[in-house]
Amino acid sequence: MADIKIGAYVCKGCGLGERLNTAQLMTVAQREGKAQVVREHEFLCNSAGISMIKQDIEKEGVNHVVIAACSRRAKTDAFGFDSVAISRANLREGVIWVQPDTDEAKEITQEMAADYVRMGCAEVAKMQIPQINPSHGNNKRILVVGGGISGMTSAIEAAKAGYEVLLVEKTGQLGGWAAKLYRRVPSHEPYADPMETGVPALVRQIEADKRITVHLNSTISRTSGAPGQFSVDISKESGGTSTENVGAVIMASGFEPYDLKKLPELGGGKSPDVVDQAGLEQLARAANGAAIKRPSDGKEIKSVVFVQCAGQRDESGKHLAYCSGHCCNTSIKQAMYFKDSNPNVDAVVVYTDLRTPGNGEDFYRSAQRKGVIFTKGTVSEVVPGAELQVKFKDLILNDDAVAKADLVVLATGMVANSGVDIDTAGGAPNVEGQKEGGESKVVSILNLTYRQGKDLPLLKHGFNDSHFICFPYETRRTGIYSCGPVRRPMDAQQAIEDATGAALKAIQAAENAALGRAAHPRSGDLSFPTFRREGCTQCKRCTVECPFGAIDEDEQRYPQFNESRCRRCGTCMGACPVRVISFENYSVDTVGYQIKSVDIPDQFSEKPRILVLACENDAYPALDMAAMNKIQYSAFARIVPVRCLGSVNTIWINDALTSGYDGVVLMGCQKGDNYQCHFVKGSEMAYYRMSKIDDTLKGMSLEVERVRTCEVAITDIQRAPKIINEMAETIQKIGLSPMKF
Amino acid sequence: MSELNKVMVEKYRNDFLKEVEANVEEGNWVKMCMQCGVCSGSCPFGPYWEHPPQEIFMMVRAGKREEVLTSESMWMCTSCYNCIVRCPRELPITHIMHGLANYAHRLGIAPKMNPTRRFAKLFWQNIIKGGRVNELKLSIGLYFMDGFSNGVKKGLEMLPVGLGLLKTGRLNPFGLLGGGKCKGASDIHKMLKKAQEIENRRKGFAS
Amino acid sequence: MSGAVATNETILVVGGGISGMTAALEAAECGKDVVLVEKNPSLGGRVSQLYKYFPKLCHPTCGMEINLRRIKANKHLRVLTLAEVDKVEGRAGDYTVTIRLRPRYVNENCTACGACADAVSTEIDNPFNYKLNKMKAAYLPFNMAYPQRYVIDSSIIGTPDAEKAKAACKYDAIDLGMKEQTMTLKVGAIVWATGWRPYDAAKIQPYGYDRYDNVITSVEFERMMDPFGPTAGKLVRPSDGKEAKNVAFIQCAGSRDRNHLKHCSRICCMASLKQSTYVNEQFGDQAQSTIYYIDIRAIDRLEDFYQKVRANPTVKFVKSKVANITEDRESSDVILHGVDTEGYHRYDNRHDLCVLAVGMEPSVDARGIPGGVHADASGFLEADAANGAIFGAGCATNALDVNRAVQSATAASLRAIQVINKVSGAEV
Repeated sequence: MADIKIGAYVCKGCGLGERLNTAQLMTVAQREGKAQVVREHEFLCNSAGISMIKQDIEKEGVNHVVIAACSRRAKTDAFGFDSVAISRANLREGVIWVQPDTDEAKEITQEMAADYVRMGCAEVAKMQIPQINPSHGNNKRILVVGGGISGMTSAIEAAKAGYEVLLVEKTGQLGGWAAKLYRRVPSHEPYADPMETGVPALVRQIEADKRITVHLNSTISRTSGAPGQFSVDISKESGGTSTENVGAVIMASGFEPYDLKKLPELGGGKSPDVVDQAGLEQLARAANGAAIKRPSDGKEIKSVVFVQCAGQRDESGKHLAYCSGHCCNTSIKQAMYFKDSNPNVDAVVVYTDLRTPGNGEDFYRSAQRKGVIFTKGTVSEVVPGAELQVKFKDLILNDDAVAKADLVVLATGMVANSGVDIDTAGGAPNVEGQKEGGESKVVSILNLTYRQGKDLPLLKHGFNDSHFICFPYETRRTGIYSCGPVRRPMDAQQAIEDATGAALKAIQAAENAALGRAAHPRSGDLSFPTFRREGCTQCKRCTVECPFGAIDEDEQRYPQFNESRCRRCGTCMGACPVRVISFENYSVDTVGYQIKSVDIPDQFSEKPRILVLACENDAYPALDMAAMNKIQYSAFARIVPVRCLGSVNTIWINDALTSGYDGVVLMGCQKGDNYQCHFVKGSEMAYYRMSKIDDTLKGMSLEVERVRTCEVAITDIQRAPKIINEMAETIQKIGLSPMKF
Repeated sequence: MSELNKVMVEKYRNDFLKEVEANVEEGNWVKMCMQCGVCSGSCPFGPYWEHPPQEIFMMVRAGKREEVLTSESMWMCTSCYNCIVRCPRELPITHIMHGLANYAHRLGIAPKMNPTRRFAKLFWQNIIKGGRVNELKLSIGLYFMDGFSNGVKKGLEMLPVGLGLLKTGRLNPFGLLGGGKCKGASDIHKMLKKAQEIENRRKGFAS
Repeated sequence: MSGAVATNETILVVGGGISGMTAALEAAECGKDVVLVEKNPSLGGRVSQLYKYFPKLCHPTCGMEINLRRIKANKHLRVLTLAEVDKVEGRAGDYTVTIRLRPRYVNENCTACGACADAVSTEIDNPFNYKLNKMKAAYLPFNMAYPQRYVIDSSIIGTPDAEKAKAACKYDAIDLGMKEQTMTLKVGAIVWATGWRPYDAAKIQPYGYDRYDNVITSVEFERMMDPFGPTAGKLVRPSDGKEAKNVAFIQCAGSRDRNHLKHCSRICCMASLKQSTYVNEQFGDQAQSTIYYIDIRAIDRLEDFYQKVRANPTVKFVKSKVANITEDRESSDVILHGVDTEGYHRYDNRHDLCVLAVGMEPSVDARGIPGGVHADASGFLEADAANGAIFGAGCATNALDVNRAVQSATAASLRAIQVINKVSGAEV
């Protein structure tokens, strides 16, 4: 590694020159910050300023740069120098915009600025320029698990982009549930009639595509490795296992219909003429456009009742709590099977809320035009018999009613085939478990060799984990993406869209892994965690706490970082009690030295110091925007952005307190079910660790009020400064820390 | 029960919706209702309806034949077209209401004393006579619909209005003597007869 | 930036909302060159105007911050703002696109210091707040605006105010002589992600949006919750500024309606359920929300959210399409008239404020998209082989929620990459 040469550049623009003594800041950078090159500029971000810095990088050999100007969120393009370490001392949003422009405030404003220059220099001195992970893999083949419409689509779309695909299907043929459909819900205008499933064409396309290799009657018996270098065992039902290498994985393991036998009150399992939607497809396929006949006696069906939300949207806790989303459209389609073959068949759909979003509304209208009757009601009972009786409450007429039918179809919904629930060890509504009648014999889909479990973590209701609004594909297992109904209940059309997106993510993961780069959300980050083996106590906290299951244990029980699985959040670094984990550009030292570099006035100065560790994605921007709106906060605060609150090592807090800081505020994202943490579990981990800080404080004879952890959202533009001010008030009340030297 | 009613009950059994679709003006729209209720809320006579339009549509689907056809509700419609304008499914609700009323009337099971029905009958008889409405006779007929003493009372009540109309030439006092017929009223009678035949044939009514 | 070089291995993404940003980023993070054009002065689109997302009740700007960081960090992605596509010629793998760039009158020297805004006095309608308030004619569109660069509104060009702005700028960032420019780009594939716009509520005559102060739209309601919005984050009535504690939400305001939008806009039920929580957020138990609906469409796990709101005693559900609204002249209260169809109950309900859950229509009618693509009857872009390498993404293709829009954009991104890879002959 080349010698570090620090260049510090102080900007005088945007009022910095008027408000601050930049000459003094330069002296600070030079004397305390050990910057070899120190310059100021009237307008650092303009082309002259930039070329001044560039020249120093090229001619003077400056390789560590401190920009003492605006926030790291501003002028990112201008200050984005390649292959140097950069630190931003935030003098604009962090100092002059949050302090009053008065003579009295001048001194403490200058002190604040000087501290940020010290911190910038300290950080950059400890930073290294990330080198590409030497153990990254180059494999770009995509493994698709599941040969239903989702899996087939993923395979075809990835192949179309030029990628090789391995498609593994558990059964003897491709197509999954979609192949068992008679027709599917239309995807084009006029959304009036059921359309061909298109499955045979997809199967032909796969068979003709040289890039796609299909393994039928096969399952995945082992998955290990990382993006760019996964190793999987594909086991044939008949015996025999082959090992293949792939770059990324798409899990499209689909669903099973909720078992209608669990709904005896609705006739489930009590009469052959009560079927689920899959059962009706079977009857429709048998009829193939002619009159549909009922299972019990082969009689032509003259009347059919569809019961929506059968065992779904259930509040009793006995059945599925969620809505499967597709069943309204599916029942409409199925009612059309009858009406299209014989308009005189009575088809009634009993629903509570008819859910046909988007152009589904056209489909709904088309069914009505065809004479399908829709009745808002709740079905209480289906009485079996030669003529089935559907007892329901008509919610419009507020009437108890009975509909007679030759056949009853229960819209039972989808259960995700998501494998093992690694958090509860098999307690989720798993399909295989369901079949065993509660005796949960759960079958893993991926059989990951990961320390944290065999399958993808589940989020809710047995569906695969996802950050389900902004970044729906992001699972907690890097390079493994789920799609189709295993992720969320959905119909074929949505599954096709979903599978196409998942194919992109898989390709992207493989491409980035081959370049040694991180995946979302720190995409492109070349740094990765390393650990000092000699110092490690094998406590396993890092392997347990990693939100992405990136860390395994090797044979000697040391942590084994699978760098390509790492998302660079730093939770492991925060977890490590002996502080042996670090990233090249983010470490216990890059933050620790910033904290230590701050000038701590003595106990009698009446100038407390408050350390604020702020999540760089939410709390820090909130404070930035507070500054843009000229919302002021205490001049005693020193704010350090962190990748995630999960990366906060308690040593930073201990060190801060022992070196005389008067208060510490941690600002992170919301945790829990509706987590907003971009690393899912990071802020939760931070909370857990901080729950023990009180003992530490007591051990140091300090008041517990000196440390506060709070959830701060990016919109807390007014609240975040308030939190800082509250800490300043608290300190005023309880007095300065006695720990100052 | 009228003969026609018996025939229809027999013909459609318990499928009232089909009966409505086949026999009621615009009846094939009933199935398109999605029960939003905007028609029921939009009707200026709404509070007086026992069953508002959207509920009637549901009752039709639920096979409540007797209740619907003997209902006074659809006779409340004054053809303001508020419901049609607002219906998100573009149902011609006004027309369906009139269609149902008309059908019930034909079957002979419409409420006998319903004032709208009685006025409609009066109006019809009045207009087909001469091919043009005789307003004076129509009003008098209307006043005396509920008996002689009621007629006198109503007539006196309306006297100032009548006199006003007379004064401005909006009411022809000789109308009482007849006259005001259009030319070729008999041709109109023929046309109406023919139209009735065609309609009866189309709808399969025994004529 | 206007000198962006592009080749037929470049992907053009039209629209810088959540879908466009996603499509652009996903492709760029696969190593593809992408040009992202946005009509407005900054990226973010409709979602940046929302207070919270359903069902997590988290803040859209949070995800946007991540996306902006991804954009800033990516060298394959170039952003053009105030840019619109005028012409598309050519075919898959070989398009020539003409882009019109409107002048911002502020160049890249801008440090977003805000001195120009302090200097000008002219105020104009604030489009970010749906014109509910005014802003200076030299402005940063919103707190999170990217590029973080001010805009001089063209209405003050040639006035002394513009000169004042120029004089106030120490960094030579204001260029009042900027002119509209056009540029042509070679691209291989196009992702069309121009998003949606709220249906014009004034067209729903019986609801009196154009006549009654206290009838507002759901998108305006979102802006009211923003502490930096037109009401400083307070739910108040436009008529008199009084707290709006008793709020009515009307579903399908324009949607599922042959007189307006024939499709269901999908998001409005969830949006109103979410917005009912805003009323609680401000007024606690004092809040009263009434949701007038035809069918509550809370599909898949969104059902959980519906159940939670249903369990809230301050929220009432009435199955009814509201017939019409009248205003009490004295109090400016709105009175909703209609029939609860579950058992036939008439109502004339008085509320402080009525929020119309307005539907989504495509902000650019796909029938008018340059280059010619398949459009459905509502003007949404329909996938079709005849579209060549123009791929729809997000709400330009259908009424979608954010989650589905992102999915759609990710899928569109791959479709574009497939074309590019064919052009480049990339074998993996």
